[in-house]
Amino acid sequence: MATLDRRSVLGLGGAVAAGVLLAPGVSLLAAPAEKTGASADRRWAMLIDTNRCTADCTACLTACRKENNVPLFGEPARDIHWIRKVTIRDKDQRRPTVTLPVLCNQCEHPPCVHVCPTEASFVRKDGIVLVDEHRCIGCRYCMIACPYKARSLVYHETKRTLESNPEVPIRSKGVVEKCTFCVHRLDNGLQPACVDACQKAGKEAMLFGDLNDPNSEIAKRVRTVATKTIRPDLGLKPRVHYQGL
Amino acid sequence: MVSYPSSFVRFLFCVLALTAGLLWTPSGIALADGPPQLELPKGKECVKPTEWMRRNHMDFLKESRELAVREGVRVKSDSLKNCATCHSSREKFCDRCHAYAGVAPNCFECHHYPK
Repeated sequence: MATLDRRSVLGLGGAVAAGVLLAPGVSLLAAPAEKTGASADRRWAMLIDTNRCTADCTACLTACRKENNVPLFGEPARDIHWIRKVTIRDKDQRRPTVTLPVLCNQCEHPPCVHVCPTEASFVRKDGIVLVDEHRCIGCRYCMIACPYKARSLVYHETKRTLESNPEVPIRSKGVVEKCTFCVHRLDNGLQPACVDACQKAGKEAMLFGDLNDPNSEIAKRVRTVATKTIRPDLGLKPRVHYQGL
Repeated sequence: MVSYPSSFVRFLFCVLALTAGLLWTPSGIALADGPPQLELPKGKECVKPTEWMRRNHMDFLKESRELAVREGVRVKSDSLKNCATCHSSREKFCDRCHAYAGVAPNCFECHHYPK
C-alpha cells in the first residue's frame, strides 16, 4: 500500500487549493439558464412625433391608466398622472400650437435617483428608471427633484376592481409612482401600452425601441430626423425624444 | 362539635378534583386549537422541498421579488402565478396559516393572487 508522507500531503492540498483559486473560468455554482434579466446592451427610448399628435386624442392616457391601474381621485392637486398631455403655445404666435404627451423621460442621469434616501428609486440595467415601491417611504424628495413633473404620490387608498389589470399591482397609500415604460410588458417582449394605443388609434405618433440596435426603427429615425428632448440644458439626457417640437 | 373527614379522604377528594380539571376542556376551544387545517395543493411537487418551503417561503418570495423588480429577472416558476396553479385558494392555504402564526404579510394589499 502506497503511503504519502506528511510533506507530500500538504503539498498536494496546496496545489489543489491553488488550482481552484487560480484556474480561469472555474465556477462552482452554475447559473440557471432561465434567469436572464434586464440587459445593459439595450437602451430603450421613445420618439414622439408632435406633428401627428392631435389635441383631441387621449388614447395613450386612457391606455396607460387601464394597463397600470392608475387611479383617478378627482382631486386635481392629488391626481396621479403617469402621462399627461401638454399644450405649448408661442406667445408671439409665430409658431403653431403643439400638443404632446409628457411622461417620465427615463433620464440617463436621473436626479430622482440621486436624491432617494432609501434607494427605492433606481436605474435598471437597461436604463429604465423605476421605483421599488416596497422600499419607498413616501418622502417625495424625488418629486421635487424631477424637472418633468413625472412623479406622483399616492394620497389615498386604492381598491382593486374587476376592471383592474391583474398583471400590475395596485399601489399602497403613501408611495411615489411614475411611468415604468410598462416594464412588465417589455420583459415579455411587448411594447408600452401607450405606444400600442397610439398605433391602434391610427396616429402612430409614438415610436418605441432600442437605440443601441442600429437597425431598429427608432435608431434610424433619431439618426435621420431632427429630434429634441425637453430641457436638454439640464444635462439629464432624457430617453424620450420629440420630433417637430 | 363538627367532625371533619379524615386527611386521607380530603387528599383523595383533592386528587379527584385536580384530575377532573385537567381532563375537562370546553369543547369549543378544543376544536379551535391545534395546527390549522390547510387545503392540500393540487400538484404533486412544489418548486422546493415542502419542509424547506414551510420555513423559508417568505425569504424565497422576497428574493424573487427583489430579482424581478430590480434586475428584471422574471422566473416563471418562482412567480406568485405559479404558486396559484397548485395552491388555488389563498384564503384556505396562505391566510389560514398566517392567521394561526399571527403574522400579517401585506403582499396582497396590492398584488393580485391569481384565481
